[in-house]
Amino acid sequence: MATPITAGAVAGEYMETLVIVEWRVGVGDTVAEGDVLLTIETAKAAVDIEAPCAGVVSAIFAEADSEVPAAAVLCLIGTDSSDVDYDGGETPTVESGLSSAPATVAVAAGGAAEAPRAAVTSGRVLASPAARRAASSAGIDLRAVRASSPSGRIKLRDVAEASQRAPLFAVQAPVDLPADEHGPLKVHRSGTASGTPVFLIHGFASDSLSWYPLDRHLAKNHAVYRLDLPNHGASPKRQVGSFANLVREVREAFDALDLDGAHVIGHSLGGALALALADTRPRKVASLALFAPGGLGPRVNGDFIGGIARASRPGSLEAWLKVMVHDQKLIDPAFVNAAFAARADAELRAAQSHMGETLFADGTQSFDLAAALQRLECPTRIVWGRRDRVLDWRGALQAPGQVGLHLLPDVGHVPQLEAPDLSLGIVTALIKSV
Amino acid sequence: MLNAPSTDELKDIHHKMVVTRELEEVLGAYAKEGKTRGPIHRCDGQEAVGVAACAALRVDDYVCTTHRGHHVYVGKGLTARGIVAEIFGRETGYCKGRGGHMLLGDVKTGMLGGNAIVGAGIPAATGMALSMQILKQDRVSMVVFGDGAAQTGICHEAMNIAGLWKLPVIFVLENNQYGLTVRQEVQSPVEDLSIRAAGYAMPGEIVDGNDAEAVYRAVAAAAERARRGEGPSLIEAKTYRVKGFSTSDMGGYQSEEEMAPWLDRDPIKLSAEKLVALVGADTVAAIEAAARAEVAQAFETALSDPFPTFEIHAPSAAYSETK
Amino acid sequence: MTLMRYAEALNAALREEMQRDASVFLFGEDIGRYGGVFKVSKDLRDEFGDARVRDTPISEQALTAMAVTAAMSGTRPVLEIMYADFLPLSLDALVNQASVFTYLWEGQVDIPFVLRTQGGGGVGTGAQHAKSLDAMVCHIPGIKVVAPATPADAKGLLKSAIRDRQPVVFLEHKLLYNTRGEVPDGDEVLVPIGKAKTVVEGKHVSIFASSKMVIEAENAARLLAKDGIEAEVIDLRTLRPLDLDAIRQSIAKTNHAVVVNEGWTFCGYASELSATIMEHCFDDLDAPVARVAMPDMAIPYSEPLEMAVLPNAVKIAAAAKKALA
Repeated sequence: MATPITAGAVAGEYMETLVIVEWRVGVGDTVAEGDVLLTIETAKAAVDIEAPCAGVVSAIFAEADSEVPAAAVLCLIGTDSSDVDYDGGETPTVESGLSSAPATVAVAAGGAAEAPRAAVTSGRVLASPAARRAASSAGIDLRAVRASSPSGRIKLRDVAEASQRAPLFAVQAPVDLPADEHGPLKVHRSGTASGTPVFLIHGFASDSLSWYPLDRHLAKNHAVYRLDLPNHGASPKRQVGSFANLVREVREAFDALDLDGAHVIGHSLGGALALALADTRPRKVASLALFAPGGLGPRVNGDFIGGIARASRPGSLEAWLKVMVHDQKLIDPAFVNAAFAARADAELRAAQSHMGETLFADGTQSFDLAAALQRLECPTRIVWGRRDRVLDWRGALQAPGQVGLHLLPDVGHVPQLEAPDLSLGIVTALIKSV
Repeated sequence: MLNAPSTDELKDIHHKMVVTRELEEVLGAYAKEGKTRGPIHRCDGQEAVGVAACAALRVDDYVCTTHRGHHVYVGKGLTARGIVAEIFGRETGYCKGRGGHMLLGDVKTGMLGGNAIVGAGIPAATGMALSMQILKQDRVSMVVFGDGAAQTGICHEAMNIAGLWKLPVIFVLENNQYGLTVRQEVQSPVEDLSIRAAGYAMPGEIVDGNDAEAVYRAVAAAAERARRGEGPSLIEAKTYRVKGFSTSDMGGYQSEEEMAPWLDRDPIKLSAEKLVALVGADTVAAIEAAARAEVAQAFETALSDPFPTFEIHAPSAAYSETK
Repeated sequence: MTLMRYAEALNAALREEMQRDASVFLFGEDIGRYGGVFKVSKDLRDEFGDARVRDTPISEQALTAMAVTAAMSGTRPVLEIMYADFLPLSLDALVNQASVFTYLWEGQVDIPFVLRTQGGGGVGTGAQHAKSLDAMVCHIPGIKVVAPATPADAKGLLKSAIRDRQPVVFLEHKLLYNTRGEVPDGDEVLVPIGKAKTVVEGKHVSIFASSKMVIEAENAARLLAKDGIEAEVIDLRTLRPLDLDAIRQSIAKTNHAVVVNEGWTFCGYASELSATIMEHCFDDLDAPVARVAMPDMAIPYSEPLEMAVLPNAVKIAAAAKKALA
């Protein structure tokens, strides 16, 4: 019996369809649990779908660039490449008692399996009334609950399971910091094998998926490496101690890739780290693009840092996501859903909260990279929104003359999301200029 | 004469026939003005059948009738005021406005209902008679039904059972010649429906339905027979429906030539002639004036009576499961 | 307690009520000298005479109409309609007479009559003698409908029905007449109309059934137990008025409902149960209510065909599993 792979809760309550961006595997590939199978696009977010179990990809039902129903089965992971039977995969038969012919009644007596609901889904989260009531009273967002029933409908047991997995922040004791995990940081690779490498470092409380608006285009011509910071995405959770330690971890991950002349792009905290990386590995960094970078002034929105790291419900997360951008319409339910799906793990949130307190104690950026900025040798551009409510864009003004500044009107803290075409153009021009 | 009504009974019959006629005429006037609700089925010209048949029964005998049963209502002793109030949907009506003019019932007077399912009264009266027989009572039941109802299957079933078990029931077939718009000869292969009685081993008799005394005598004889335990009787009272099927009837199928002799033999006219000879014209005029005054008073009172208030399903438990 | 067959329990109820109340009488086809084709009125004619235990002509329409007005006139008739399939012949009396006058003449008359009949398939009686028309009579306001599954309930409910002020349609099942069960002793042991009974306790799924389907539901519960599923079986006993409290309590516990009825599916009794549960228990439901009922077709004669259409334990268990999946 093969395991059907769907987008699950990632495909949001309001989503009817999703776009297959890229398959990372092919039929016959052996995968381990946690391996990325494909990337999908939901609204403005890209999400990697990982293998929930080890096995062999036995079928792929949707091609890259195609748009499919949100609940569609995307591929199968079987015991081997011929294992393509799965629950819900049969042709639906007439339901018991409703048939007009005795022959089908006899079949139905055995219990007809329910077909995958893909074709009829309205995009609304499917949940039983009892599950809805239980989720509502426990403050659990159904978008973050996985349905275990072959009907695709969230049932009471799923809510109970979810409430144990991701209890409501407000009513439950703070999650203890997880024990430090070991191992290297996770680097996601996509794009061409031969193109100039691009190394992407995301910001605080984000993860490598946030690069999707740039990544999807850069990957056409470049080998793209997207780093997950510690306590973020798929990287280990461990106390970072200090900004200097964090820089060391990023450098180790970068060095391990042994890239020759990478274009490094960083956002926010990732911008500060990119700057530090370029400062310490000047010959390995071909160019530097800093999106709303940290470390250029002490001021930081401390409420934002604490709030977004702690947010245990889509509703509270949404409020902080809206602080990040200028155009509030960008933060639609699908975006929130996708962002929350990446943050459903309470331990991850606890680890990030702790990391935020470490790096931004007293609501202050205790690391200062102004000097590093002055020392830069590679072509560098800073892209910053003048409506940034997280970091003060005026920090860019201390850049030396050779650094290009793009100070965007009506853009907030995330230019690559808020002005994707312009951001891409700036990056592309920068890379070409090298 | 055997089973003949007394003079007082004839006066009472005449009074009730005039009440019925007046009721029909005033109702007709209200209907014309659009002030009645739903159809009204008038029994003008048929008063003798219902009134005189009921007059031959005891108060504790049961009757049921058709959708055209005002003469039976009045004949069995219901007041004009209660009837009018029911027809105008008032709280003071016999069924508090729930029944309307066709489904009116009053158990106290033994009037177990008009019935608008054609033929339904026939097994109804038979069932009442079954109870009376089982309880060994000397009561009888009677149904007034039409020539249309005589063609239903249930008429055969009920009469067969009544004859078989010798039930104390009187079948008064009020042959007014029409089932809605269709004449009796288009509905039945025989002209005299009373001949069917032979098939149920009961006496069948034809009477002049416009002659109140004839109807009374036939019913009184049938009641005696039933009380003696000798079983049911079928009395076919020939009459004529002079005002169409109902207030919604467009007419056009009853000719003046056909109607003229029946109008000429109006049952109230015949009754008045007979009564004038017995008690004098003044007394008859006084009876008629009293009857008209009674009806006028009934309309005046009933129309100012309150409407009922709606209560869902109360208090019949089986109506609703909602708690 | 006495071990009795279902038919014997009904017979005992009739005898006791006729002894208790001289206004109770029985009539119907073949019920007198022969004692009824299912022997429910066995020996009663000998005991009470042919005035109170009457064989009748084949005249279901008139007999039912007569029962209504006899009941209005001081007696308590118990009419036997031999097969539920003949109920359509009784419908005018139920729809246009009995139910109408309980309301129109509220307070003027009681209509205490019982219409006993039996339905259900399984023995090759064919399309005109095997139906369950529960829904057809349950549709009519002002009429109570009971459908006992056990000899004890058959006796206790029939006694209650005979004593009721209103018309009661009493639905028996041809395959239940020979089933045995303990019946409490005593003339005054009544089972109230309108009260369901939990016959199997469970916590995972509630199965609502009546008449013979209770036995199928109990068997389904045994099948489900093998898979670790604890089904609760509720014997409705009275189809109308429904015991809503019992339904609510069970679903509040199990969050899953399977409704079973041997009648047709479309607009069937199971459909009414489903809608009622939807209205009253919606927020307790963890899965759609599952209907198990007869397919919408004439009941075929040949054994494998008839068995294929009848609801049974396997179909009930499958529906329960699907609801729980």
